[in-house]
Amino acid sequence: MMRRFAFLFAFLLALAAGPVVADDLDALRLADEAPADVARASDWSAFIEAAAGRSVLRNGMSSPDQRLSLDVQLDKRLAPGWRLVFANRLDMFWQDEPTRQHGINTLKEAYLGWQARDDLMFDAGRINVRNGVAAGYNPTDYFRTGANRSIISADPASLRKNRQGSVMLRGQTLWDGGSVTALYSPKLASQPHAASLNPDVGATNNQDRWLLAASQRLTGNLNPQWLLYKEERLPVQLGFNLSMLVNDATVAHVEWSGGRSPSLFAQATQVGDDTAFRNRVSSGLTYTTSNKLSLTVEYHYDGGGLRDDQWQALPRTSLPAYGRYRALLQNRLEAPTRDAVFVYVAWQDALLNRLDLNAMLRHNLADHSRLSWLEALYRADRMDVALQWQVNSGTPFSEFGAASQRRIVQALMRYFF
Amino acid sequence: MNMQINNMRRLTIATLLGAVCHLPAVAAPDAQAILAASDAVRNPGYPFGLTTTLLEYRNGKQTDAITLAVYSKEDKSGGQFRSLIRFVTPARDANKLMLKNGNDLWFYDPSNKASIRISPQQRLLGQAANGDIVTVNLAKDYKATLAAEEDTQDGERQTRRCYKLALAAISPDVTYHHIEMWIDVSNNRPVKARFYTESDRLLKTAYYRKYQSQLGTERPTETVIIDGLDPNWVTVMRFSDYAKREVPEAWLQRDYLPRFKPE
Repeated sequence: MMRRFAFLFAFLLALAAGPVVADDLDALRLADEAPADVARASDWSAFIEAAAGRSVLRNGMSSPDQRLSLDVQLDKRLAPGWRLVFANRLDMFWQDEPTRQHGINTLKEAYLGWQARDDLMFDAGRINVRNGVAAGYNPTDYFRTGANRSIISADPASLRKNRQGSVMLRGQTLWDGGSVTALYSPKLASQPHAASLNPDVGATNNQDRWLLAASQRLTGNLNPQWLLYKEERLPVQLGFNLSMLVNDATVAHVEWSGGRSPSLFAQATQVGDDTAFRNRVSSGLTYTTSNKLSLTVEYHYDGGGLRDDQWQALPRTSLPAYGRYRALLQNRLEAPTRDAVFVYVAWQDALLNRLDLNAMLRHNLADHSRLSWLEALYRADRMDVALQWQVNSGTPFSEFGAASQRRIVQALMRYFF
Repeated sequence: MNMQINNMRRLTIATLLGAVCHLPAVAAPDAQAILAASDAVRNPGYPFGLTTTLLEYRNGKQTDAITLAVYSKEDKSGGQFRSLIRFVTPARDANKLMLKNGNDLWFYDPSNKASIRISPQQRLLGQAANGDIVTVNLAKDYKATLAAEEDTQDGERQTRRCYKLALAAISPDVTYHHIEMWIDVSNNRPVKARFYTESDRLLKTAYYRKYQSQLGTERPTETVIIDGLDPNWVTVMRFSDYAKREVPEAWLQRDYLPRFKPE
């Protein structure tokens, strides 16, 4: 009885004290019971990923695929100013039948960093250097050539995550609002190595390269980056990156690289020299709605690609040249033609809390072929479960129509340790 | 050192102003000074680091947990906080970073080495957006007026005599158009706040509670946030590991994000 009275008294007091509503009291009671433990940061992270899917090939046959992957990252401070970074991924594939198994290891990063001062750092080892503000095509991402050993998804984020760095020496100095980075990546081997566990420096370090990158914040919203890049067989290339806030919900970006170079076709076939100043541009914007949907639209221009008529005529003129051209494009993640459109939609907590829907479209404006990709991903506490669906459509020799797989459906599960 | 002295002086002046304002039969309290004093209760006047644990509840059930390591430094010119935020949990987001300098927002993912500019709307996608409620100097972005002096219940369900301040945005790029804030008349501690849109829609209610001695003064170590539209959506924010941390100016930029390795 006394307890009831005390409760009633407290309630009346609460009413008299003003604006604490019942919802607020419920929330505060919930907070009283919330667990008090605090998670601690860890130097390492890892996840295991299992995927099973089926591809429908261009000839109408279908092919089952299974994959098991282990991804490990370590970022450890060894002593004041010294840092060790290591990132590795192992993909095991089973295609067609369980006996056809093969593995590919990707040594993504392994380097030692030294922070000489707050504003001066040096690194040595295999480093994944990625420049560029665009989402679907990065003309200034100069170190992407030969970087992907194992392609497990068409999602550009996956391509960027699952690639190997280049062996290099890197230095960076910073000041309030600006920075300069210089790096040198030497030639260490001539040819890529396909062996499963090979660190494959031949894929990333088959020529001498250097890069200078500088940025300076001009205003709070204007922070451009300029780049100078040189590789053995090309004149110096210039690069530029800028992303700007247009309004509360929109970010616009432009990424440009330009310089004298032969066309991609001339580089692939080693026939003739058509060196000229060529521009590569990726520009677009990302708009986010209040219901957690982000839409990115980009236009891509590659001045090193073939003109529409040249591309349409190539398979009729020379199939071997077509094959060599496609192989070069795959290695460099370039499109065969000059103009393309890229659309990416990410809808977080779509329909259900923790359910993300992602969709991507690549559209070649020359041959009108398309790559369409959809993903539904559910985020549990330590696990992601996803269903992915990809369709390559177009005429047989078009950019996406030539892919051996017409449709891919894949389910995957990722567990984070 | 000069900055610390300046900050201490400012805190002292603000506190004195706040204290003077409590005296009876004196001119109306200076609402802006009270707000500044209340900011100083929440945020140290020098660069600092802390761990923020966000627990999200929907309909009484915990649905999410995020841990962030936050490093904050007051801008020399604007007076607003600039923060480097590192995700500690969930595991899928571990070691991702966010740099926040007003509306200049960058997100860095160490797995793909990408530093991406994001819009304020994109930042609001995650619960981490609630981190703003901590390291924000409201007195820099809002004009305060004294709406009332009244009793209100605090986060511990105790009755407190409070100034009720009405805050109106003076900076166009703030998240909340106007705010109602209750501040304890005896010590300038923030007790409760309601955050509104321009159309007067309640976005969230926050209770500042569990005051403990941190970095030399009593500060709230927990904020309970109740969503304005859905009161069954509750976020509990816990602050721990307060530490004075020097954050060099050169670190507060996009190009430092790949280098950031907090202690």
